[in-house]
This record gives sequence, C-alpha cells and structure tokens, in this order.
Amino acid sequence: MKSRPRTVAIAAALLLSLGGAAYAFVNEAISMALEAATPYVEQGFEVREDNWSGEVEPGKPLLIRHQLFRGNEYWFWAGTSWPGATIKVDIFDNEGNSVGLESFAKDSFAGVRALPQKTATYFIRVVASYEKSGKGMTKAERGANQPVEGVGEFSGVLDWGLVYGYR
Amino acid sequence: MIEMPPASSATLRRFVAALSLTAIFPGVVLAQDAETPAAPERIDLTNFPGELVDKVVVPIPAEIFAVLDKLDEPDWNSGIQLPEANERGGERSILALTFGSLVAEGFIAVQAKNAEEIEKIGKRVLELSESLGLAASVRPHSLAIIEASKNRDWAKVRDELDATQQTVRTTMEKLRDDELSGLVSLGGWVRGTNVVTAFISGSYSEDKAELLNQPGLIAHFREMIATMRGPAASAPAIRAIATGLARLEAIIAAPGNLAEEDINQLRDISRAMLEEFYFAKPAP
Repeated sequence: MKSRPRTVAIAAALLLSLGGAAYAFVNEAISMALEAATPYVEQGFEVREDNWSGEVEPGKPLLIRHQLFRGNEYWFWAGTSWPGATIKVDIFDNEGNSVGLESFAKDSFAGVRALPQKTATYFIRVVASYEKSGKGMTKAERGANQPVEGVGEFSGVLDWGLVYGYR
Repeated sequence: MIEMPPASSATLRRFVAALSLTAIFPGVVLAQDAETPAAPERIDLTNFPGELVDKVVVPIPAEIFAVLDKLDEPDWNSGIQLPEANERGGERSILALTFGSLVAEGFIAVQAKNAEEIEKIGKRVLELSESLGLAASVRPHSLAIIEASKNRDWAKVRDELDATQQTVRTTMEKLRDDELSGLVSLGGWVRGTNVVTAFISGSYSEDKAELLNQPGLIAHFREMIATMRGPAASAPAIRAIATGLARLEAIIAAPGNLAEEDINQLRDISRAMLEEFYFAKPAP
C-alpha cells in the first residue's frame, strides 16, 4: 500500500468538514480529488459526498454519465494517488461536444468547469496515465527508500477518483 | 432565461480561482491560458474507446432547488410537509424510501431556512435510522444537522444532510444491501421532484420546466426496480412506484418541451408515489 500522509491528513480534514465521518476508510484517489476541490469550496461550491472511483489501466479513458441542471455552475475534480501518475478530466454534452469552459491538469489532480446550456445528461471523461517505471522515477516518486520487493511496484492499474461541486 | 453573471464577474472569479489554485499547486496552468485550441474537442459517444462507468450518482434535491431559487423566489416554507411518523411497519424497503424522502424534506426546510422544522427532521432521521439499525452511524450527523440549524449555518446543514444519506447508503452497501441503498436515493428523488413540480405548477415557465428533463435518472431508477430480488420486489408499494416511474418517463421522455399540463401530471404522479410510503393516502 502506498503511503501519502499529507494527502490523507488533508483529505481527512476535508472529509470531516464535509461531514464525511461516513467514511470508515480513506479512498486516496478521492482524497486527491477533494484536495483539488478545496479552494473552490471557499468560493461557494458545495461538494457532493457521493462520488465515483475505481481502478483503470493507464491510458484507458473512462466515461461517466451525470445529470446536470442549467442554471448551476459545476466543477468536476479528478485525482489519482499513484506516485508519478497523471490524470485529466473533460466534459462533453450528449452529442459528444466538449463543454468545459476552463480546466487544469497538474500531475495527480485535474479539474474542469462547466455551465450547462441545457438540463440534460452530460459525459465526464477521465484519463489516468502512467509512463514512468524503475529508473525513470524520481526519489520522491519511489518514496524515500528503495522499494522492498513486491511493495510499491506498479501493478498495472491506477486508482482514480472523481468528485463534483455545484453552486 | 436564466441570468448568468456578467463577464467581468466571471473573469474575476476565474482569476481568483486561478490564484487560489496556483497558490496550492504551484505550476498549475489553466488550460485556456496555456493554449487556445483550434476547435473544441468532440468525441464519438456511440463508439467510445474506453469504459463506461456503471455507477450513477443521483443529484441531491438541493442542486435543483439552487436553480429554482435563481429563477424565482419560491415560498419554501409552503413546500415543507413533514408527515406524521410512519406507521406502516418495519418493511426495510419502505423504511429506506422513507429515509430518502425525509432527507429531501430536510433540504426543503434548509431552503426555507426553517430551523424549527430542520430540528424536527433531524430527530426523525435519527428515529428512522434506529428502525434501520443504523443509528450509531447516523447519530453524529443528526446532531450536527440540529446544531448547524441552530447556528443558521445552512451550507453546513446541506452538507450534513448529504453526508447522512451517504452514510446510510454506504453502510447498506457494505452490508450488501445495494437495493436498499438505491431506494434511499429514489425516495429522495421522488420527494424532491414532487416539491419542484408543485412550485413550477404554481408559476409555470419553460425554464423551470426544463429542470424536469431527467430521463437518464428515471431510466436508472426503473432499471434498479426491475432488477430487485426478494420479497420487496413484489411488494405492492414497490410495484406502484415502478408504475409511477413508467408514467413519469412517458411524459419526460416525450419529444418537445414540458408544458404546464405535463408538469401538473408529474406533480400528481409523484405525489401518488409518495403516498405509497411517505404521505398518508387521502381518504376515499
């Protein structure tokens, strides 16, 4: 199991602030996504407790359906906790047109903003990628110590999490 | 039409967002600032080269209420209709539906900023969680709801209501009771739909009616009910709700905008569905 003490601490604080005592465990990818959401909460975005998460092969796009309401503004935030992995998130309408107004992607975090032009089902695309391995990884990505055999090795899938907020 | 914020305000917000974000994640670059793409990207949804995620996250009523508040000034207090404590027994599917509707009632009371009703609902939520055997995990939320309403911290009350529902659903799923978890969402959605249609009926506009354009969610709930197993699947209330969903779908999925008469029908159908588990049935 990977260790991300800072992430876990921040996520735990955010989860508690969101009334998240619901979680008996911390989903690290969701924690990363919530970390990306933090600045927006102060801007009045209400972050939902329910979310999407799972594991996926690197580079394999995921498509998530979700109902949005015209008149609300939305941010979707995605995260992955695997060191060295990156994640991207985009949003499309039901005809496949990109409707993201603004976005960011920085290593383990990504976000996209949308102002729906109609109340309908929209599609959020999440792509988690990982290209580095072995010597290509920095010390920080490997962790401070050399990995113990079988521990911290890339298993072929990446964790991912997606949360959203509205206002 | 919904009024959107002026461009200057939006620009300012984006700037503040960028500042906040870059302060936390140095090196973050907003995509629109990095490069202006030649044309917006388009994907083929009929031939998507990846995986469609099965999970459906059902919006909480507060998301729709937020839009309604921007379009109008509904008298949210008139929308609160907390029924007498349910005396329809301990059938868990009914309790789960009721729980969802009760949380939705809480969201209505938050829009009304009615601390007294929120307190009543918070207590009722706890009582119902005892019947479901989930009191230990719900109690902290129930207390937080009551406390936040006393402090008139409405955003916190909304967070706690969402967290309460999520706690109950997560606990049910851990107990491999996914059906019950889905019914909690359904109960909340039906109550939210009912109050929204009641308000829109009172002051119809196409913009408001568009809020009901949710065929994907109705299809999800219909499929959920259709795949239920066990005795609950054939319970009269569940069958009646399945019929109600089919009737809602027939109206919402029809081509064209929803007319005032459509909204009145949605209101009456959702009310009848709620009378199967939440509201008392009218005397014959």
